[in-house]
Formats: sequence, structure tokens, C-alpha cells
Amino acid sequence: MARQARQTPDRETAADTDRADIPAPRESRSWLWSLGIGIAILAIIGLVPLTGDQSTLSLWTFILMYCVLAQSWNFIGGFAGRAAFGNVAFFGIGAYTVSLLLLQNKPFWLGLALAPIIAGAFAFLLGLPVLRLKGHYFAIATLGVAAALGEIVQAENVGAPAGEISLTPPDLNFQISNALFFYGFLVVSLLTLLGTAWLTRTRFGYALVAIRENEQAAESLGIATYWYKVGAFVLSAIPTAIAGGLFAYWQLSFDPVGEGGAFDVTISVAMILMTFLGGAGTIIGPLLGAIIIEYLDQSTSIAFTSIHGPLLGALIILVTIFLPQGLVRLVQELLRSPAGVKQSYPMRIKQGVQRVTRFILSNGV
Amino acid sequence: MSHASSYPTASSAETSAQGEAETPLLELVRVTRRFGGLPAVEDLSFGVRRGEVLGMIGPNGAGKSTVISLIGGALAPSEGTVHFQGQDITRLSPHKRARLGIARTFQVTQPFAQLDIRDNVIVGALFSGHTRNRREASEQADAVLARVGLIGKAHLKGDELTVADRKRLEMARALAMRPQLLLLDEVMAGLTPREVGEAVRIIREINQSGVTVLVVEHVMRAITGVSDRILVLHHGRKIAEDAPDAVLSDPRVVEAYLGERYARERAAQQARLAQQVGGAPLPAEQVSAPDEADEPGEGHES
Repeated sequence: MARQARQTPDRETAADTDRADIPAPRESRSWLWSLGIGIAILAIIGLVPLTGDQSTLSLWTFILMYCVLAQSWNFIGGFAGRAAFGNVAFFGIGAYTVSLLLLQNKPFWLGLALAPIIAGAFAFLLGLPVLRLKGHYFAIATLGVAAALGEIVQAENVGAPAGEISLTPPDLNFQISNALFFYGFLVVSLLTLLGTAWLTRTRFGYALVAIRENEQAAESLGIATYWYKVGAFVLSAIPTAIAGGLFAYWQLSFDPVGEGGAFDVTISVAMILMTFLGGAGTIIGPLLGAIIIEYLDQSTSIAFTSIHGPLLGALIILVTIFLPQGLVRLVQELLRSPAGVKQSYPMRIKQGVQRVTRFILSNGV
Repeated sequence: MSHASSYPTASSAETSAQGEAETPLLELVRVTRRFGGLPAVEDLSFGVRRGEVLGMIGPNGAGKSTVISLIGGALAPSEGTVHFQGQDITRLSPHKRARLGIARTFQVTQPFAQLDIRDNVIVGALFSGHTRNRREASEQADAVLARVGLIGKAHLKGDELTVADRKRLEMARALAMRPQLLLLDEVMAGLTPREVGEAVRIIREINQSGVTVLVVEHVMRAITGVSDRILVLHHGRKIAEDAPDAVLSDPRVVEAYLGERYARERAAQQARLAQQVGGAPLPAEQVSAPDEADEPGEGHES
């Protein structure tokens, strides 16, 4: 030891040659690829109305709606890494903002413009206290607020008795209006996609990812972590509320709570599952996840209504075991080093199984 | 050997005497931090002079990392105040201190695991106030990575690095903040002697570029080589603060921390050095001081 330490001055020249003239590896361009693929996917989906089949159009409108929801959740859940379980609250706020204004014969566009403002303000005011909470406490608080909002709307007869909204259809041919709602969701999804890609290139995005990866380190590097988390929460509320507004006028009648309700907590679960399947914190992960899960969900709920709940549950377990990092990251790893993935995959599956078993055991099943 | 008898209260008087000549860049004034009633740091006062490398050593549990956290802002003192550039920062949050120019590394490295190395360092550049532009930050990140010898690995993920490279990444990320004061928490622990040598070289370079450095370390030989002054903590109290050689020959320090074995080793090492280099770096009585110190140390214990 002593000899080595004394030799260090002699090593300096060697160390200097070590580090000189090593070319800097190029910056990753994967964000451009992701953006391009995302735009291509949306462009292809955009051809669906040309088929003229109303049930296909309805299926893909739902898929696009979930694309928007998962993409929005990705801001707070994927980028900032916060387990927000109540984002359906913003969806419901959007749906009821549009509905209440339509019921007072105010124009649809006004509701659609106000929905993100109101939901954003709500996210800000809610975020101030709940984002002080860590981990599970934050998850439970957001879940509770979303559930409470639905109950309040029902109990206070917001808009209609028991909050059961029924709207007058738009003064248009229903085929045209359905296509318009489809393209409405498509445009919001596209804008959210562009926003996500932009986010990965900005200071704001770097702050969120740093917070997700290591909040203590992020804070020590000068990031005002609390305010960035509040910002991510507000950002995730905005497209969600617009989707809620579109949903309200597209569906015309809906309940506040229960299956298919505007504050239905399973919508929150769906957006989380979709984001994780595709890849939380990636640019196109939520799109892929939403397309796969909503397609499966709609198909199975038509064929066998009774099993699609358990099917979603099974899917959650499978994603936890096989794809904890999501599809997009698996593909990226395969492109970088197929051998490495092949080598590490059995271990990862084992860890996934352990995670699931531990969870089940800890819940006393 | 007057430093040997310097008590914390006496040294805080010293610090304020220095303050008249030149305000230290960083100053802790009678700082105490308790955890559940137990003091981890007790009545600690010291200053870090602008432009110096101050080393901080002490046995496990002496409170070294607590001091780093008290300066970085991750912990607030139970008593006492922390000043930076004459400003009271005792109640400032960590990110505000970072923006004032205090950067730290973590003893347990904390890379952003899913970000590549370049992006890790870009985060350091983007939030300390000197640039908000991603492209500029990226160029600065590459420059810093070249400085610490990590540029060839800029595309790897934060969790794909060796221990030594993780420590370098910690330094790179802190350096990208262009700090005035750099707090290094055991960046040399767990490294091979060759890597320690490299780390020492990097720290010297950083210091020569105008950054004041506080190095907390366990690797004794490395810290004596790099520090202008050394402060010794024991049970959360300062027991010595002086030039490296004076501190290492301080009987209290030898007793508290280095132990007999080190004292003998060091004397032997100095003797060998004197033979090989042909000139004794220390006066003979100081080299032998640790040996003498063993006796009062043992006497104290029994």
C-alpha cells in the first residue's frame, strides 16, 4: 500500500495519456427515432375513419382517448416517477366542465378551453399539499381525492340528479361528429407526443427525470424538486382534462362513478398499466401500451364481458414479471446488446416473480 | 504543538480572529446536530479559506458525513449557524445552496441510473445558474467528462459504471455546476491505489482551477497529499486543525484515530522516504512524534 501511494506522482504522466484524445461518443438520437415512430403510428391510426365502419371507429376513438390519458400520466408517473393514482380526477373535471357549460347552452369550445385551465388549477392546489408526501402516502392521497370527487359529484347532484349527465347531441350527422371526435383525440394525442419529445430536450424534462432517478441528488444539484413535481402534476392534468371534455360530448351520457364513469378509478389504473407496459418515462411507450391494452380490453369485453377484469389483473402481473421496464426499453436494449439481454433476462424474470410473490404474501392472500 | 491542546471553544475564537483578516468562504459557527438526543456533531466551528483544500478525517461515526450534509443543506443544525460568503445559509434548502455555489458528492454514489453519463452531467450544468441551454450544457458536460477521464464512457448508463467511475461521475456532476466550494465525501474510498492517485491528481487540478475543496476521507495517505490543512473529528468534536504533517504528529490525533500501528508505519515510511529521496520532508522530531504519542495515549486509556 505504502509503496503504491508513493508511486502516484510517477503515474501522473501515464494518466494524462489515458484520457487525452478519446473521442466523445455521439449523443443519443433515440428521441428523434421515437418521435418519428410515434408520429407514424398516429398517422396510420388516422386512416381508420376511411373504413367507414362505426364500431371500428368507436374502438379506435377509445384507444386514442387512452393514448392521451397514458401520455399525460407519463409526465407525473413516468418522468417525475410519482405514483399518482388519482389522475382520473382531471378527466372527470374535464368531462363535467364541458357538460355543465353545454347544459347551460354555452358553446362546446368554451368548455374545452376551460377544462384544462380548471383541472390545471386543481392539480396545482392539490399538488401543493400531496406532493409533500412520499411514495405510498402520495399514491393513497391522490386515489382518495379522485374517489371523493366522484362521490361528491354524485351526492351533490352536479349537473343532473346523481350527476348522471345526459347531453343533447351536436347538431351534425353522427358519422361526421364521430369522425370529428376521433380526430379531436388524435390531435390531442399528437400534441402530447410532441410535448413529450420536447420535454426530453429541456431543462424541465431533465429536472423531472433527475427527481425520478434520485431526488436527493437532484436537490443537491440545484433542482427545486418540490416545484418541479408540482409542475409535472399540472402538466399531466391538462391533456387529461381535454380528453375528459371530448369524452363527455362524444358519449353524451355518463355517470360520475362506477364502471365507465367519468371518475371511475379503473381509468387511473388503466393509464398506469398502459404506461408501464409501453415504458414509463419514454416518448412512445404510453402510446404502445394504450393501443395494446385498450385493443385487448375492448375485444375481450365484447367477447366475454365477465373475464376482462381478471384479464387486466393478470396483465398487471405479467408486466411486472416480464416487462418491468416496458416494451420500449426492452427493444432499445435488444438493439444495443442482444447478448446482454439474453444473459440477464432469466435473472430479471426471477426478480419479477419474487416481487409479485412478496406482494401477494404481504397482502395475506 | 499548541494545536494539540486546542479545544473547540478556543478554535472558534481562532476562526473569528481569521475573519478579521479575510472572511472564510465557508464558516460553521458552534454547530451541533443531534439525532434523537445523541449529538453526531457537537459545538463544531471551523472555516474553509477561499482557494484551499481542507481535508477532514476522523474514525467511523466521527460525524464527517453529517458535516457534509450540514453544509450541503440535506440536514439542518440543531444549534449554531452556517455561513457561506458571509451570508447566513443555515435555513436554506439544498437546491438554493447549490445555486449559491456549493456542490457535493455522496459517499454512497447516487448516479441517475437510467440516464447516460453525459445526461447525468448535463443535469449538473443546467441547474446551478450558469446556463439554461441544453446544447451549452452538453458541451460543458463533455469538457468536464474529459477532465475527469470519463469522456469515452459518456454513452453508458449511470448504473453501468465501476466503483471508481461512479466516484468520478459524482465529481463530474458536481464540477459541472461550476461550484465555488466542492464537498467531496469519501470519493477515494474503495479505490485501488492507482485510482486513488488519479483522484488526487483530479482534485489538485480542480483546486488549481480556483475551486475551494473540502475533502472528507478515510484514505489517509491520499488526503495528506492533497490537503493544505487537515481537520480531525472525533465523536463529533474537532480535536485538531492544522497543516497535514502537524496534524498527523499530534498525539491527540494519533491516539484518537490513527492508532499505534499507523504511527509506527508512518515513522518507517518517513525514514524510507528520507533514504530514497535523499532529503527528509519532515524534521526528525516530528517524524518520531507519533511514536512518542503512543505512550500518553495508552496512559490515558488505562
